[in-house]
Amino acid sequence: MPVAGPPRDALLPAPVERVLDNGLRVVVFELRNLPLIAAQLVIRAGGAAEHEDEAGLSALTAALITQGTTARGATELAAAIDALGARLDAASGYDASVVGVTATTPAFPPAFALLKEVVRQPAFTPREVERVRTKSISDLALTYANPSAVARLTAQRVAYGGAPYGHPLAGTATTLAALGRDRVAWFHERFYRPDDAVLVIGGDISPDDAFALVERELGEWRAGDAAQAARPDGAIPPPRAQVVIVDKPDSGRTALVAGRVTIRRSSPDYYAGTVATAVLSGYSGRLNQEIRVKRGLSYGAGASLGARRLPGLFTASTLVDHARAVEATEVTLATLRSLVDAPATDEDLVKRKATVTGGFFRSIETIDGIAGALSEHVLYDVPLDELSLYARRVQAVDAEAVRAFAARELIEDDFIVLVGDASRFAGELARTHPVRVIPGEQLDLGSPTLGV
Amino acid sequence: MTALPTISASAIHVAPIRFVDRTLANGLRAILVPDSRVPSVAINVAYRVGGKDDPLGRSGFAHLFEHLMFKGTSSTAPETIDRLTEDVGGFNNAFTSEDITNYYEVVPSNHLERLLWAEADRLASLTVNEANFATERDVVIGEYDQRILAEPYGMLDELVNREAYTLHPYRRGVIGSPAELNAAALEDVVAFHATYYRPDNAVLVVAGDLDVDETSRWIDRYFGSIATPRAPIPRVLVAEPVQTAERTYTHRAANVPLAAAEEAYHIPSASHPDAAALDVLEALLGAGRSSRLYTALIYDKQLATSAWASADLREQPGLFGARVTCARGVALADARAALAVELERVRTEPPSPAELARVQTQIASALVRSRQTASGIALALVHATTERGDPGAVNADLDRYLAVTAGDVMRVAQTYLRAENRTVIEYLPL
Repeated sequence: MPVAGPPRDALLPAPVERVLDNGLRVVVFELRNLPLIAAQLVIRAGGAAEHEDEAGLSALTAALITQGTTARGATELAAAIDALGARLDAASGYDASVVGVTATTPAFPPAFALLKEVVRQPAFTPREVERVRTKSISDLALTYANPSAVARLTAQRVAYGGAPYGHPLAGTATTLAALGRDRVAWFHERFYRPDDAVLVIGGDISPDDAFALVERELGEWRAGDAAQAARPDGAIPPPRAQVVIVDKPDSGRTALVAGRVTIRRSSPDYYAGTVATAVLSGYSGRLNQEIRVKRGLSYGAGASLGARRLPGLFTASTLVDHARAVEATEVTLATLRSLVDAPATDEDLVKRKATVTGGFFRSIETIDGIAGALSEHVLYDVPLDELSLYARRVQAVDAEAVRAFAARELIEDDFIVLVGDASRFAGELARTHPVRVIPGEQLDLGSPTLGV
Repeated sequence: MTALPTISASAIHVAPIRFVDRTLANGLRAILVPDSRVPSVAINVAYRVGGKDDPLGRSGFAHLFEHLMFKGTSSTAPETIDRLTEDVGGFNNAFTSEDITNYYEVVPSNHLERLLWAEADRLASLTVNEANFATERDVVIGEYDQRILAEPYGMLDELVNREAYTLHPYRRGVIGSPAELNAAALEDVVAFHATYYRPDNAVLVVAGDLDVDETSRWIDRYFGSIATPRAPIPRVLVAEPVQTAERTYTHRAANVPLAAAEEAYHIPSASHPDAAALDVLEALLGAGRSSRLYTALIYDKQLATSAWASADLREQPGLFGARVTCARGVALADARAALAVELERVRTEPPSPAELARVQTQIASALVRSRQTASGIALALVHATTERGDPGAVNADLDRYLAVTAGDVMRVAQTYLRAENRTVIEYLPL
């Protein structure tokens, strides 16, 4: 079998930026291979900006913003987007709400005008608010029926409690039921403002043309009277070893999530953390090897490291038979510790780093992907040239950096969340760990203490 | 209502895909598209063998083969392709259609040579034995149970093919029948591989960060020595007789939540001059929330939960499907009557200039989006080469759609959407 050559790097456009008089920061990249332009308006407020008892407000606002404006209803808006062959969508995360549009070059100016229209004059009609809220509540039923999803949401609460990122982004049936048009309009008015937003635009357009277009469409946009909202920076509880079991006897299998709060996206350790996570993840990653390949405990296992403005959550997760939950817990913890006890060598890291850079390069094949990567950099105060440096930063991580990162950030004081039939494993786990069991019907993800 | 902003699709200018196309002495066609923007490369190997080529009484063979091609070779272990891709930041997969079986990988470009070697290796020295044959046959039958039997509308596609074609092997679909798969013996499988998996029945497309000369040398080195059998490749020559009367088939099953129906009309092949107008007709009827069927059946009359149209253009004459799934409490006859109104409309009046412009813009925009990735470009070349016999057809696509007139759309609707040319599948709860 031939050997692989040395890894190659991408030829990426260098972004340029300018700040409009109204405070809107505009970042432009030029890529002329196809007649396609994308823009993402990044509003620097998402789930972390909403009150604990209004969980789901940022998501509801984002979902509603594309459902009609004061100039045209939801159906007419959809027809207008179709007529341009464009895509317009919006979503919220914890740190931001993003409204994006993509269209071919001739269709882009009118499509961008539609983005302006939804951002500046959303209708939030009572009919659409009711429709989207009802759908959001019924979607929650699906989420709660899935033990892996419940385990993820419970893990967030265990890790963050009442601090930002603790509550569910999609809200709960209780919080959503209390949210109406007024609160959605308030969130929009308060946070969708030019002086706390960034517009990333790029593709088949010159920087001068892009700045001119943005100035023409959004130059008149003014912030409301309220002062810019302070960045939520609630005190995140220190990591604490604990086992939380959500008893769901009727779930088919037990979902396991172990982890802890680690570092910010802006941390210089982010790349060591990303490579350490890659050592654990994927088919040939250590978790899947130990849990699936060697022991057949599960169909799969992996890890993730959340990129956030405040310290993000590291998790290792899997789904196992109830009867093997204790074994899976011990294997998961031992596998995390293996990053320190049996550190990956520089040679091991070649392939694991390739999984990180390979995924990154595929993600930036499209202009949406490039815009998304730049949006993330802007949002987390990462310098814009990071886009071209990403692969080199990953390659620069060595075995010692991974070991040191794991020792410092991944293996001490991890929580464990199990969602499944507690009668099959809680007693045995209690012999070696401090265990808390929450009956499934009492679990309240809207509460910092999970309702108990 | 605010005036709808529109554009003309003719304002969208796409640079042609520049590719190198050559055929090796052993008949392998190799198409290379260099683009070094991102250090990633997409490899596609398409074999001209699909569901229609399954041996008589052995339906599902082409698809079974798609699975066997991952089970190792004389020099590699099973799942080698997975390890060579997933473990280095790439991925791989494969699909089987009525006409082709396509294997593809996307990997960091420094791994291109390894994947070319691995693709050549599994063409030349695939290991098929009783053990992996039996295992994969069970996997495929499990897939049949899951996708066809357990899915609420899983049987509908199978029925459309089975009932719309009376003679042509398209009637057997792709996934085949568990009974025929179970009846197969290892010799059948070995014979099938020898018959269709040969260099002169394959198209190799590599797109992305590659050097044309270096890649060509690798292709020569790894694929060039694979011998081509002397026997000709069997081809399906059966012509489906012209349909002269409407056929209706009713299927009832316990797992059907809401009544549905598909009307399937015979249409010509993907290389026929009417193909582009049929694609435009499909989008006019079914693409997006402003399409005719969505607006009339789902939004205005609220008779349906889903309604779509599909110009299923194949290497040989295909089908135009119009499908509707009833809204709760709606009789299928009422939903079908509303569908009939829309089909009558496309037969009797041309679309307005604004509507045609919208549809052409949607098609052109989707085409532009699909050209952003190496895998999208490679797949477009695979389809153009296998279905239309010309990779260069990808560069004429946009003009082909723009040349379609409102009159063409009405004409193809009149020509093909006739009751006597259709088969109706009614798909009902018990």
